[in-house]
Amino acid sequence: MPPAATTADIEALEALAQRLMGAFTRAGYERIVPAVIQPAGLFLDVIGESLRARTYVFTDPDGAELCLRPDLTVPTCRLHLDRYPAGNVPARYCYSGSAFRYQPAGADRAHPREFRQAGIESFAAADREQDDAAVLGLIVGALHEAGLDGLKLRIGDLGLFTALINALAMPERWRWRLKHQFWRPEAFRAELARLTSGAARATGMPREFIDRLDPADPGGAEVLVMEHLDKSGHELIGARTAAEIAQRLIAGAADMHEKPLPAETAALIESYVAVKAPAGSAVERLSRLARGHGVDLSAGLDAFQRRLDLIDKAGVAIAGAEFSAEFGRNLEYYTGFVFEVIAPALGPKSPVAGGGRYDGLLAEVGAPGHVPAVGASIHTERLLAALQGAAP
Amino acid sequence: MNAKLILALPSKGRLMEQCNAALAKAGLAVTRSGPARGYKGEIDGLPGVEVNFVSSSEIAQFLKTGAAHLGITGEDLIREVMADADERVRFLGGLGFGRADVVVAVPACWLDVRRMADLEQMSVLFRRVHGRRVRVATKYMNLTRRFFAQMGVTGYRIVESLGATEGTPAAGLAELIVDITTTGATLRANGLKVLDDGVILRSQANLVASGAAVWTPELAALETQITARFNRPASNASNR
Repeated sequence: MPPAATTADIEALEALAQRLMGAFTRAGYERIVPAVIQPAGLFLDVIGESLRARTYVFTDPDGAELCLRPDLTVPTCRLHLDRYPAGNVPARYCYSGSAFRYQPAGADRAHPREFRQAGIESFAAADREQDDAAVLGLIVGALHEAGLDGLKLRIGDLGLFTALINALAMPERWRWRLKHQFWRPEAFRAELARLTSGAARATGMPREFIDRLDPADPGGAEVLVMEHLDKSGHELIGARTAAEIAQRLIAGAADMHEKPLPAETAALIESYVAVKAPAGSAVERLSRLARGHGVDLSAGLDAFQRRLDLIDKAGVAIAGAEFSAEFGRNLEYYTGFVFEVIAPALGPKSPVAGGGRYDGLLAEVGAPGHVPAVGASIHTERLLAALQGAAP
Repeated sequence: MNAKLILALPSKGRLMEQCNAALAKAGLAVTRSGPARGYKGEIDGLPGVEVNFVSSSEIAQFLKTGAAHLGITGEDLIREVMADADERVRFLGGLGFGRADVVVAVPACWLDVRRMADLEQMSVLFRRVHGRRVRVATKYMNLTRRFFAQMGVTGYRIVESLGATEGTPAAGLAELIVDITTTGATLRANGLKVLDDGVILRSQANLVASGAAVWTPELAALETQITARFNRPASNASNR
């Protein structure tokens, strides 16, 4: 709420937040109140330095680096791990509170620096598709209950991209590079171009070295690295060991002997990323595309179809939702199903709710391994604006 | 009373000396004035100008907020303080001194890292082995963040370093640095090398005009006068 909000506005917002929380708690989600002020280091580790560009990071009198929470998902993960350090005990949480984002172009009503989120997170549920469907079903149900009609859905599945890359013939380290760069479309295109042109061979490698490196002999490569450093008068400084340096040099040497990625494979990846279709026909589209290139995507697509059926059963008309293979690409912590809810009054640039699956996040926050996790949040002010029929 | 044109100049160090020399060459004689020859000054023959002596990084702040109309400071400091510098200030010309490159430098023993793309790949492996992100020591937090994002490098943490940055990798306080260099000798002496595509900015001292300051026609005319002095063929000022 802007500072000039009237009493009526504030009361309407409070009532709306309570109504949403009522829907969540009735569905068995435990109400929690995570701290507003969070350790910045944790967020920087999880999200990276890009966090500073959109988060209020500050230093307290004791010198500790703190931040105003940019979302409530990471704080909820922390709370869960405080209770269950391994993270693997099923639990479902809900919250309603403020999140804070720096707006580089200046804050206004559509881009507030402080806004309310009402959300849910479900951890360690064994059946992923079932849990994805339950979370989407609850969010859509709560929005309906609050009075929002005519909402539109956008969905994606980052697990399908992983499945596609795993199904293609190429060295594991190339798969890994493409998955890693997927989040940065420009760097991804550059990586794909390097792999298809064979330019991967030239990158960063002292040539005189390559021929002497034997991929089957990492110890020998380490010795070569030490010899080279001795000869050139460079000391080994810092935390990286000669073995780590040798490991990457060996990978580079292996790239040199590898055939470039076939142009047809790169074309398939690019066509996949460009797919947009109604959810009801997406499976058919994707499966035809993969089969046309002799690739079997059926395991990923079966899970996708099963999830659609479960969402339908949860009472959400999903067939007309817009599927986009690229959707979710700007949010690195998502690993599977992703969705966004659009209210007709506000349009696709200001979704009223969004969420998805992030099976890697609890491990980033401190769990010993991956833990299934799916969650979503409603942008409460936007929902109120949509209900009042006003542009935010 | 007419408003004066505020000219912010470096108050100390080598940049101040070179700045004085450049001003003298341009025929602008600056004298300190006020109590104890303090932080104010004037220029002979230009009574409409008030000189403020402040630290170089503060000059960038003054230009950002409009507390000064004109200032002389390094382009690196301007771009560090303002992400959208070209929209907030006008660069009126490089002055040929204070030259320094802002560069990404890594240990020379990293035989596997020559380009920014190598850095991204290496950083992921590093995190897996050491359980933390690669640390970049720098005083240029904003320039670093923008350049790394532009080059697709994400897996790092910044450690703020306000002095002796080049020593941090050997001391184990960071894995690599972003810092200024002129000849590269200091980097080499500390066992570091500049990445092939790791030059973020080739900086030098610039005469810069603030977009946020209030410019009356009289002050704009004064600016033209001052700029013309620097651009006289006899002076050694060079436009970039």
